Amino acid sequence: MISVAPEPIRLADVRRFVEETGAEAQLDTDKIFDLKVAVSEACANAVEHSGGQHAPLQVCAFLYSDRIVFEISDGGDFRVPGVPHRSPRDDRGLGLPLMVALMDEVRIAKTRGGGTNVHLSLFL
Amino acid sequence: MLASTERLDGTPLVVVTGEIDHGSSSALQSEIEPCLDGGETTILLDLKDVTYMDSGGISVLLYTVRRLRRGNGWLGVVSPNTNVRRLLKIVGLEVDSGFRVFDDKESAATAIREMSTP
Repeated sequence: MISVAPEPIRLADVRRFVEETGAEAQLDTDKIFDLKVAVSEACANAVEHSGGQHAPLQVCAFLYSDRIVFEISDGGDFRVPGVPHRSPRDDRGLGLPLMVALMDEVRIAKTRGGGTNVHLSLFL
Repeated sequence: MLASTERLDGTPLVVVTGEIDHGSSSALQSEIEPCLDGGETTILLDLKDVTYMDSGGISVLLYTVRRLRRGNGWLGVVSPNTNVRRLLKIVGLEVDSGFRVFDDKESAATAIREMSTP
């Protein structure tokens, strides 16, 4: 598990965590790359909508016999990741399609506190 | 991420090193923006030493393609690694008329020369 402040600069720390976890699970570099992108997209959404709040962003990894799972939870307001929110740049809708294209399973849920929980799963 | 601009047969070649993510994409855009504002019709982006890219970087590519297409120009990326190339395919950039992928600098230079030959 890694817990970081919701700031763009911390996304690199999250990726190092994904990289280390993937290497421990002996995943190939392509799968590690896909996990890094998918987890980053989920985190980038949380960072973008943290609205200056400092509730940390939590990324947990779970390794099962047939799959690796990353769960990303934030303390902000619930948002579906990667859906544009009236941004002047109109390319913000790529996060969710990328997660779906790269992962085997993507689940998005509200946390009890009203934040967002993204569950990303990749078969081994 | 580090980015600097060179010229390849007169065409701007933005050489990028490292990871292009949501934290570094605005720095890449700032590097490309003067080329767009200066009226360049074709821009090349050397991605040989880019180890990671996500939608942060892809947004910059899409923005650049849109701006260049207005002048019937295109954006060419040079030597992306196989993973980055896979992302370009997923988001549909590989089949965009304003976008090209080159395996190396030589093939990019050939395309530039062919373009300037009447």
